[in-house]
Amino acid sequence: MNFETIVFYGFAALIVFASLRVITARNPVHAVLFLVLTFISCAGIWILLEAEFLAITLVLVYVGAVMVLFLFVVMMLDINLAQLRKDFWRWLPFGAALAGLMAFEMIWVLGSAETSGGKTAIRHAADYSNTKELGRLIYTDYVYPFEIAAVILLVAMVAAIALTMRRRKDAKSQVVSEQIATKKADRLRIVKMPSESKAANQLSGEQK
Amino acid sequence: METIKNFFKTFLLYELAKGMALTGRYFFARKITVQYPEEKTPQGFRFRGLHAQRRYANGEERCIGCKLCEAICPAMAIKIELTEREDGTRRTTQYDIDLTKCIFCGFCEESCPVDAIVETRVFEYHGEKRGDLYYTKPMLLALGDKHEEQIAKDRAADAKYR
Amino acid sequence: MMELLQTLQQLGQELLGPAWLPVWTAVKILVVVVPIMLTVAYLTLAERKVIGYMQIRIGPNRVGPYGLIQPLADGLKLLFKEIIIPSGSNKFLFIIAPILGLAPALAAWAVMPFGDGMALANLNAGLLYLLAMTSLSVYGIIIAGWASNSKYAFLGAVRSVAQIVSYEIAMGFALVCVLMASQSMNLGDIVRGQQGSLGMLNWYFIPLFPMFLVYLISGVAETNRAPFDMAEGESEIVAGFHVEYSGMAFAMFFLAEYANMILISFLTAVMFLGGWLSPVPFLPDSFIWLLAKAAFFLFVFLWLRATFPRYRYDQLMRLGWKVFIPLTIIWVVVVAVWMQTPLWVW
Repeated sequence: MNFETIVFYGFAALIVFASLRVITARNPVHAVLFLVLTFISCAGIWILLEAEFLAITLVLVYVGAVMVLFLFVVMMLDINLAQLRKDFWRWLPFGAALAGLMAFEMIWVLGSAETSGGKTAIRHAADYSNTKELGRLIYTDYVYPFEIAAVILLVAMVAAIALTMRRRKDAKSQVVSEQIATKKADRLRIVKMPSESKAANQLSGEQK
Repeated sequence: METIKNFFKTFLLYELAKGMALTGRYFFARKITVQYPEEKTPQGFRFRGLHAQRRYANGEERCIGCKLCEAICPAMAIKIELTEREDGTRRTTQYDIDLTKCIFCGFCEESCPVDAIVETRVFEYHGEKRGDLYYTKPMLLALGDKHEEQIAKDRAADAKYR
Repeated sequence: MMELLQTLQQLGQELLGPAWLPVWTAVKILVVVVPIMLTVAYLTLAERKVIGYMQIRIGPNRVGPYGLIQPLADGLKLLFKEIIIPSGSNKFLFIIAPILGLAPALAAWAVMPFGDGMALANLNAGLLYLLAMTSLSVYGIIIAGWASNSKYAFLGAVRSVAQIVSYEIAMGFALVCVLMASQSMNLGDIVRGQQGSLGMLNWYFIPLFPMFLVYLISGVAETNRAPFDMAEGESEIVAGFHVEYSGMAFAMFFLAEYANMILISFLTAVMFLGGWLSPVPFLPDSFIWLLAKAAFFLFVFLWLRATFPRYRYDQLMRLGWKVFIPLTIIWVVVVAVWMQTPLWVW
């Protein structure tokens, strides 16, 4: 048992524990935080596999952005636990079927000799950059799937904005661009005035 | 032309640079901090600090218990009780100023017909217990005795404006 | 210097055997973290002094000569203060939040190149790692805000996280320009890419000047510093996400903010101002240059705080989403096209 194996089992145990807690935690915020922990442990395992680009991207994209938005939503929810418990038994068969299907797929893919074939991770030289390799693959062999995925995401984004954007006619708001575009000369006129009037001058002269 | 100029001014953060140049200049300006315990700012003769009760030169206390100060005090910090002394004059038995209420407006001083209650230049005082800032008549009189010289000088300086 | 390290390595190897590696790593981490913590401490003093000077005051000058012991006094004070845990708060998350805030700010230093080949970890995807670490720092804030069980803290956290997440995008795109120009995500290579016979004219801040400004401003927003300190908003939401924190727990957030500030200053120096490279060809490259550049940016941070009033929140969001992100995307395209022409000389 060398150092790497210990680290691997450490991360693996952490993943199993955290993902179990994701579905058993009562508080949804805790569940999301456990999901974050799961992601980070996964990233750890990927780093062990020398897939540092994927590992860091997982942290950057999922942990750093997606889960933050998740947390945002979950934290603002007003959740009634009893309400959630009520439908548990009704949805159990459906969920179990889905879980079974996923488990089956994973066993199928990972177990078949063709896809994994019991391959072990290949060791690379220190100057090997899997970022470059990934980039090369994405922009040559997989350029169409990549572009299509990008377009789908763009469409989804546009759709999400179009669905949620409502402009209320009676809502008042500031036009920030106009506010910022104003220049000093538009608002401010500096008028030169003599600082003292003649009468005041005389008065002060008399007092002296 | 003007628009182009403004465009570049906006994107090169001209105005921000101008603002920073200003603060940058002040970075090297002469500092005006007063190093308090060693240096002190000058006080005017109307300085309104700690209160004091004055006496006449013959040792008779000035206060005649007219209660004008108590009436005018906006913070209701003054409490006065009266009695008739054996020589038939009206005197205070109790004259308390609660300094935790006092706002140091100087109205008591101004309303006093006999210049009995005054505010001195003392501003460095403190209390360590809750009651410490509740000044009673003997305390005020003692303060007056202690600072009489300065008080009299300040009154004299202020006299021509009254 | 190098020989000394070599002999030290050998000596340790002989003395401790396999246990030497963790010890040596710990020593390396300490060598980086301790100076950062000291810098953080003295940055607080520098901040008070600089802002004081700009407001024609002199700042703290009582504790020690010129107030030089002030940070230690502040630290001691915070250390001995009670950490109040609000009732109704989530205790575990409440305690762990400041740690989560500080840890990424320090972890990001692992890839910082202090000199040629002088980095704790020479990571190929160093730039990505940095982005990942800075994006992790929002967890400290959001967990602190939620775990406090206070609406001020929660609102502050939401505001500040929304701000950080928004500006991260602009920051990321600005860095994309840098990595396009240097064709590497290794921070050491990025600095080496700025080497040339012309000294400072070879640095990336010239072709990427708009990105340099965007990065600097986003950096200020990312660290929640004035004029983008909506998260704190002393006069509006009383201190944002850390209202409920006191003592050392509060100090951790403080440390994290300043450590992030130092990090951003060093990164700006590395990405745009040629890291350890000397600005003029006739002077040797050295670690001192990196320090000087970072110190300048730290001064700019303080200078900005002394100069500008706080941004309004909607204007802040507008600046991030409607100005910086389009600008950076356009500049990515500009740089991509520019690099295909012979006019690209960097």
